[in-house]
Amino acid sequence: MAANELTRLSIAEAGEQIRRRSISPVELTRAYLDRIAARDSQSRCYITVLREEALAVAAGLEKEVCDGHYRGPLHGIPIGLKDLIMTRGIRTTCGSRILKDWIPEADATVATRLFKAGAVLLGKLNLHEFAYGPTGVNPHYGTAQNPWGRDRMPGGSSSGSGGGTAAGLCAGALGTDTGGSVRIPASLCGIVGLKPTYGRVSRAGVVPLAWSLDHVGPMTRTVTDAAILLQALAGQDPADPSTAAVPVPDYRAGMAGDVRGLRVGIVRELFFERLDPDVRAAVEAAARALEGLGARVEEVRLPRIHHATAAVFAIISAESMAYHEPYLKTRASEYGADVRARLLTGQFVLATQYLKAQRARQVVRAEVDGVLRQVDALLTPTTPIPAPRTDEREATVEGVREDVRGWLTRCTRPINLTGNPALSVPCGLTRDGLPIGIQLVGRQFDEATLLRLGQAYEAVSPFRDHRPPLAG
Amino acid sequence: MTALSKELLQSIAEVLARVPVDPADLAGSVAQLESQLDGLARLDDLDLLHVEPATVVVPPTEVPHGR
Repeated sequence: MAANELTRLSIAEAGEQIRRRSISPVELTRAYLDRIAARDSQSRCYITVLREEALAVAAGLEKEVCDGHYRGPLHGIPIGLKDLIMTRGIRTTCGSRILKDWIPEADATVATRLFKAGAVLLGKLNLHEFAYGPTGVNPHYGTAQNPWGRDRMPGGSSSGSGGGTAAGLCAGALGTDTGGSVRIPASLCGIVGLKPTYGRVSRAGVVPLAWSLDHVGPMTRTVTDAAILLQALAGQDPADPSTAAVPVPDYRAGMAGDVRGLRVGIVRELFFERLDPDVRAAVEAAARALEGLGARVEEVRLPRIHHATAAVFAIISAESMAYHEPYLKTRASEYGADVRARLLTGQFVLATQYLKAQRARQVVRAEVDGVLRQVDALLTPTTPIPAPRTDEREATVEGVREDVRGWLTRCTRPINLTGNPALSVPCGLTRDGLPIGIQLVGRQFDEATLLRLGQAYEAVSPFRDHRPPLAG
Repeated sequence: MTALSKELLQSIAEVLARVPVDPADLAGSVAQLESQLDGLARLDDLDLLHVEPATVVVPPTEVPHGR
């Protein structure tokens, strides 16, 4: 099989071919590494590439499969990790100058779990500095390219994970999501991004942005691939006391059923206010497509959801400042200007405002959970606008001009507050050829229903036959 | 009501938080805070009297591991 065909295989397809020994882990890993070598000076998706290490691991996995020991669908699959996920003996920069030479002594739990499942680490992926921003613009390592447009933001903060997966520079990746940082780049780069339930996937060994809002999740080219990665990641971890002892189902088995009779709620408040017209049309069309598949789509109300914006602001500002304060006292000049300014804002949030936000969180979460007792999932746009230009600071939609960071996070950050699982799936292209995503929000710990809905929708999505023009 | 100013924020940062700041960085903080203050005040519209804050679970001290 030609190298560019290998890098177009989904994880599920490649895994099956490795199991059947029709392709080898070394062949697949080399195809990705050669593609990275040829393209990454332009795409800037990677901060660190691990060529020799990846080939050595792939050779070991190849021997295993030849000896009849097949670990499962991630055996020999080349992946990338966002560069704030700790990797033993491999530098972990967090996209910053401050940690440019930091070499952790241990792997994050999520890295350990993927390696145990047989994944091959190609390298560490670019991000918005310390994950604090939804644009992906990075002053230290360059900005990862969005393969749908040379001048377009990849979205952030998991910019390299989004751009790299979309451009075929890894079979899949992990990102982290504090206000939308998995789902936003997934939407802007035309891939699938899953923020699991808070407590479903360990955060141990992942450099925090805001402890009570941070999530780790898969970014892939298909919904099935997201399920495969989640299967390896999910489950309680004694090293992360916020993980829950909730049984982990067989996600792929759960995707086998159809979606007839599932109830999908549309929330007009917040999520459908002021949308780019192409985004609105694509998401409305996605709702009709789900109806066509037999789901029951109905309008539901979340009158308190607007409070999520201020609550997330207070929590993310205070928690991120608390974590970064030691660096800000001694090495402030080494931060990029935008992240330094955002961090400094955190010291002006009052303790009472922070606690009020954590109390408001209970109210908003109870409201969302209440609605999700009436319906199986909510459907919203992932972002109200498609990928802005990299140099764009503000955007105007329906006559309202606002900071692009506000636009990009409007639909995603409330779900970090509530902790529900949320899946972004591509649903079409704008007239300018930029991807659009829908966000499906599920009940706590019910990623399985989201994956079932997402996969059913993916099969009929108008996006399904499109590939990014810069992916070659 | 007194408007937020860079000078006020600089005093808070340096006197209360003891974080040295470059005043040039505070223009962004002023703008960001001003855009959120109404929303933060509106959290009072929620009936929070009997609501405890959501907190991260802390393991008992005898558990020898943690983040």
